[in-house]
Amino acid sequence: MERIIYLKNVSVFQNQNIVLANVNLSVNKGELLYLIGKTGSGKSSLLKIMYAELPLQKGEAEIVGYNLQTLTAKEVPYLRRKLGIVFQDFKLLTDRTVADNLSFVLKATGWEDAAKINTQVLAVLERVGIGTKGNKMPYELSGGEQQRVAIARALINNPEVILADEPTGNLDPITSNEIIQLLFEISKTGCAIVMASHDVGSMSRYATRTIKCENGVIQELNTTPTPPVA
Amino acid sequence: MAKQPRTNQSTGNVSVIISITLVLFVLGIVSLLVLNTHRLSTYVKENIGISVFLKDSTNTAEATNFKKLLDVTNYVKTAIYVSKQEAAKDLQKELGGEQFVTFLGYNPLNDLIDIRLKADYANNDSIKAIENQLMNNPLVKEVYYQKSLIDVVNANAKRISFILLGFSALLLIIAIALINNTIRLHIYAKRFLIKTMQLVGATQGFIHKPFFIRGVINGLIGAVFAIASISGTMYYLYMQAPNFFTITDVDIALIVALIILCLGCIISVLSTYFALRKYLKLSFEDLYAR
Repeated sequence: MERIIYLKNVSVFQNQNIVLANVNLSVNKGELLYLIGKTGSGKSSLLKIMYAELPLQKGEAEIVGYNLQTLTAKEVPYLRRKLGIVFQDFKLLTDRTVADNLSFVLKATGWEDAAKINTQVLAVLERVGIGTKGNKMPYELSGGEQQRVAIARALINNPEVILADEPTGNLDPITSNEIIQLLFEISKTGCAIVMASHDVGSMSRYATRTIKCENGVIQELNTTPTPPVA
Repeated sequence: MAKQPRTNQSTGNVSVIISITLVLFVLGIVSLLVLNTHRLSTYVKENIGISVFLKDSTNTAEATNFKKLLDVTNYVKTAIYVSKQEAAKDLQKELGGEQFVTFLGYNPLNDLIDIRLKADYANNDSIKAIENQLMNNPLVKEVYYQKSLIDVVNANAKRISFILLGFSALLLIIAIALINNTIRLHIYAKRFLIKTMQLVGATQGFIHKPFFIRGVINGLIGAVFAIASISGTMYYLYMQAPNFFTITDVDIALIVALIILCLGCIISVLSTYFALRKYLKLSFEDLYAR
């Protein structure tokens, strides 16, 4: 199995305070990993280390081939291009349409051919089930639709891993299930997904590998990935 | 297709352009004044008069010849011959029509030549030398000029130059601060968008590019409006007082226009760069805190 994420003895700091210590974690290609724990338990901070928003202060980490110990500021954008990041509050570019949100990512990563960009944008919107919403502004969409746009944006560069930080935190239970189902289906295509959430209830419907952040350490709850419960 | 909410973005750009226009307008006017200080000083100095009174024995032909001689002298800008009869008429007018010549029984005035000096000679040292030279002429009875006025004009010309230079330096700092603040506010409003761009893998150069282009465009538009306003103001002043506010030389006008254009773009782009650099370094949490 190809290893996508590798953390060894990593400590997670938030404002000089240690929130997680001795994190040892490995995620393989196509794997879906739940990261659960109470608010403030360090889930989001651990994800931030993975996408280099927080500096790695202690331990070793390799994410999609980038060694975080030696990662320079100039390399950060290139690391993030191999990742897809999904946030609780979507973080869409509110000054442009859905299609422009997605094409921005492609242009930022070197795509120039307008026709190819349009084709890719349409394909990924179709994939997340909002193929007709390309011309809408983010504020014209529901929360679930906005999160689908965020997932489409995360997917658009065919990332090796998607890091989802509380992707259902702002959504109602039915929409939350739809989003988790969508992420689960994406993971089956070979894209690893690390999903942080405190909403254990809605995630328990999809039995898979689960890591719990509690009392400053992580604990593996279920190491056997299983298909979703119908 | 959804209508894009350009209003806020346009309002932000309009604020930036208005700010740039106003500041560059004031800066441009002061720059013109500074560059024209020499012209203004020359104008004032060349309007300082020296009255050369001729002796009673001087006849009109001698006076006219002397005036012609003065016309070609290097320090004279203009020389006007005023006969004693004309001088009497002028004085009679000034006295409200009182016929002082009839009352006195003779004309006590002398023929005179009213000289306007070239600006370079309008200082007391030169005028003293000119006075001595004129007094050597047998036709000249007396040379009169206001010594104190010349001192005041020369002292003030220098003082005004320094004041204007200091004022324009101060204004330049205010201009930079004002434009910088407006642009920082404009970019502050976009700080979350900028951060999101970073998170999706955009390089700093890619994020900078549209902001720089917008900065140059805003700077250019602001500068063009400022140049148009300055031109309008100068034309208005020229129409009101053509002798004082002469339309400036084309090369000076072009220099000022070029300075304004460059300043508009440079201040705009540099402010954009520094504001962007600040927000690109901050984390999301810091963005909420600031």
